[in-house]
Amino acid sequence: MIRVPLRPLAKVIAAREMGENPDVAEAERRAAALRVRRVRERRRAEKRLILVACVVTLAFGWVGFRMGDLSFSGDGRVMSARASEVLRNARADIVDRNGEVLATNLNTSSLYVETRHMVDKDAVADGLAAIFPDLDRDTLRARFDAPGNLHWIKPQISPEQEQAVFDLGQPGIFFGSRQMRVYPNGQRLGPILGGTRYERADTTGAEIIGIAGLENGFEERLSDPARVDEPLVLSIDLRVQTAMRDVLAAEMERLDARAAAGILMDANTGEVISMVSLPDFDPNNRPGFGGYAGDSPLFNRASQGVYELGSTFKPFSAALAMEMGVATPETMIDTRGPLRWGRFSIGDVHRMDPQMSVADVIVQSSNVGTARLALMTGTEAQQDFLRAFGLMEPTGLELPEARLARPITPERWSDLSTMTISYGHGISVSPLHMAAAYATLTNGGLRVEPTLLAGAERPGEEARVISADTSAAIRTMLRRVVAEEAGTANFAEVPGYEVGGKTGSADKPSASGGYDRDKVIGTFAAVFPTSAPRYVLVVTLDEAKTFAYGRTWRTAGWTAAPASAKVIRRIVPILGMRPMPSAPPAPLVDVTLTGLR
Amino acid sequence: MVYYEQMNAKPAPTGLAKLLYMHWPLMVLVVAVCCMGFVMLYSVAGGSLDPWARQQMTRFAIGLTVMFIVALTPLNFWKSMSIFAYLGALGLLVAVEFVGEVGKGAQRWIDLGFILLQPSEVMKVALVMVLAQYYAWLEPEKVSRPFWVLLPLALTAIPVALVLSQPDLGTAILLAAGGGVVMFLAGVSWWYFGPAILGAVGLVTAVMTSRGTEWQILKDYQYRRIETFLDPSLDPLGSGYHITQAKIAAGSGGISGRGLMEGTQSRLNFLPEKHTDFIFTILAEELGLIGGLSLLLLYTLIIVFCSVSAYRNRDRFGALLTGGLTATFFFFFVVNMAMVMGLAPVVGVPLPLVSYGGSAMLVLLGAFGLIQCAHVHRPRRGYQ
Repeated sequence: MIRVPLRPLAKVIAAREMGENPDVAEAERRAAALRVRRVRERRRAEKRLILVACVVTLAFGWVGFRMGDLSFSGDGRVMSARASEVLRNARADIVDRNGEVLATNLNTSSLYVETRHMVDKDAVADGLAAIFPDLDRDTLRARFDAPGNLHWIKPQISPEQEQAVFDLGQPGIFFGSRQMRVYPNGQRLGPILGGTRYERADTTGAEIIGIAGLENGFEERLSDPARVDEPLVLSIDLRVQTAMRDVLAAEMERLDARAAAGILMDANTGEVISMVSLPDFDPNNRPGFGGYAGDSPLFNRASQGVYELGSTFKPFSAALAMEMGVATPETMIDTRGPLRWGRFSIGDVHRMDPQMSVADVIVQSSNVGTARLALMTGTEAQQDFLRAFGLMEPTGLELPEARLARPITPERWSDLSTMTISYGHGISVSPLHMAAAYATLTNGGLRVEPTLLAGAERPGEEARVISADTSAAIRTMLRRVVAEEAGTANFAEVPGYEVGGKTGSADKPSASGGYDRDKVIGTFAAVFPTSAPRYVLVVTLDEAKTFAYGRTWRTAGWTAAPASAKVIRRIVPILGMRPMPSAPPAPLVDVTLTGLR
Repeated sequence: MVYYEQMNAKPAPTGLAKLLYMHWPLMVLVVAVCCMGFVMLYSVAGGSLDPWARQQMTRFAIGLTVMFIVALTPLNFWKSMSIFAYLGALGLLVAVEFVGEVGKGAQRWIDLGFILLQPSEVMKVALVMVLAQYYAWLEPEKVSRPFWVLLPLALTAIPVALVLSQPDLGTAILLAAGGGVVMFLAGVSWWYFGPAILGAVGLVTAVMTSRGTEWQILKDYQYRRIETFLDPSLDPLGSGYHITQAKIAAGSGGISGRGLMEGTQSRLNFLPEKHTDFIFTILAEELGLIGGLSLLLLYTLIIVFCSVSAYRNRDRFGALLTGGLTATFFFFFVVNMAMVMGLAPVVGVPLPLVSYGGSAMLVLLGAFGLIQCAHVHRPRRGYQ
């Protein structure tokens, strides 16, 4: 900075020499400095004003944009309000395959007050508090003095309450129309239907939207104004659903299980006739979220949860070997264990013959035999095969929850993975996946997609995954698992219905890593009747156990298998199936074999 | 002697001749916006002058008279009155604590006998006046020195604190913003505005954390409004009701609107405060996007004309006064608009010149009178 002396000496001296007044020179300098300063200040003020103007312009542009945005784009709900004026409060019914109502609407009223029209606020508060014991008189009275004219009192009231309020005879109390979604069957279909809640609400009504289950999965369809009079027809059979839920609930208690899931599927079309997930909930009164998700009643164990389902995978390994031509049911397999692979070893839980046929490997459930089979077919073939059965992607079921059930497969699919997956470890799928895959496996080899809607057809040849011969051979093996003394699922036999199936007992992964020996998920995947399959049943019990012959049993043969038998016994009359003439168990095997060959 | 030549100013107009020197385009715009307000109030009442439109017109007539009187009074008079206006408004703000009428859970009004006055409205103008006078008096070099910054800060903070205690969050924000803009325009260093913004953020945090403690700053209903603003679906029948219904109304107007007196949201009493804070939603519903954008254009032009007037004005007091009042007007509009469109919490700020309300109308027209006054009495350079 250049310092300017207070009195510029040179100029003063010059002025003196010229004989002029030195003060004039100084005044001139001051005036010039002031001028410069003023200009500088002025410039700064102008700059700032322009900056402010820019901010203002931006703000105006923003407001204008929002205005246009609100007026003719974007918010679909706002636009729909414009189109219909009255809130969409109609919603289509949901019925089962026989036309039984599963979800419907009731007309009820909402209650609100407009303080502007009130004459005696105290009387209104007294009256309302007397009719609705849950309302506090003083709180109510205070609300009448709070800002605003309109105050909501109750979103839903019964006709009796409405009459009582009406009888108060006080002006300023109003009733609005309010549709209420009702599920007459309560608990029984909770996990399937999900539930609804109110979205936008005003005095003319309230919009109901589905928040879970089918109510959410078919939101568009159910709230479509053009189709509200046309009920949504499900493939569910309410009678079967009720029976299965009752049996599984009783079994869950008997076997001291933590949770249970059951799926009954039409083996030829993929229609889900019944789907149970326990513990369940009443969709009329949904519980809140909270706690560990796996224990929540809102968690759908049948379609949303994925588990290692164990030996139920073995028939797929056998089917793959047969499809590839590397084995027939009679091919002998080395089942000597333990099978060592690097630092891992695969063993069997009980003693087996050193060599067994492929069929016996399945019937007696040999891990070692299945792993050897898998080594013969290879990793890539296994992946393609499981993918063809839909075991690698979420199922196409219409529930939003089912879309979350993405199977868990190994990140690195090593030969060891191939071996463990061949007997159902290292891969997690939902019971629904398993039901659909068993339907495909046993119905002659045609891939079915699980669905909750009635009217699905048997798929055509283009959906073929395995040959009819392989499918028939697998059915024979599954039948033997149940019918033969050496099979693992003798308790699943229901005389006259040719039940065939495969047990699966998987140790639950423990919180600390590895597996928990005391916690077993027992699964039984069944098909019946095996000579001409109509239904597939998958029952899964979480941590079930039973005490017999002096020890505790946790394997599926003792838990899920007998539970499945009870379910089948209860539902076959409802399904209109008659028992076939029974034959002695031992020859039956040969008869079935030759009969199918 | 160039310096003295500059002072050779053209004489300012005197007497009624001043009328010719007023900013007439601005005048026309202000009247147009007010007329739009009358039409909307007429429509909200279902095609009737009562209860709102007639009274609003009466106030407008009074306000317009005040505006002309203010505009024709010499600017130096208002300059010297600034400090008294400020002290007077401050006195009223204190008085309202003791003798104020309680309206909607807040103590905001004072009954002067002939008019229910809202002192906080008067303060909005008085604060800008006193700050403009302060900076006109202060030598420009001192503007950014700490002591000379603290003084106007205190001048702003006292009324803001008083208004907050009423409590009236919206007005407090407007006051603080108006004072801030005058300080900014006067050239206070950027170094003060950075920390100030940080401080504001800190204050917001303090307000939000003080909830439920003994020193709770806002009333419970204001917290609820802020909460539901952040997620209106939390409580569509309670506090979120304001915003949801306003959005529906604005959205249902579409491009051309439903036509006057045809709005269902307003007609069926869904909208709260429909003739005051939320009148814009009625306008958007009945006159649609076209009506909304027209009003926006009018406001924009008002602000542009005022800004240009401030920019051209060589008198520091006049320029700061015009700038500050314009900013206050702008904040009025933007806060209301953001509130109505669901971009900001509902804080209770009316739409300037359109919403029904006496104090705001009178004070705003008075403020435009001051802007006109500064325009009329601006220094004029002689022909060169």
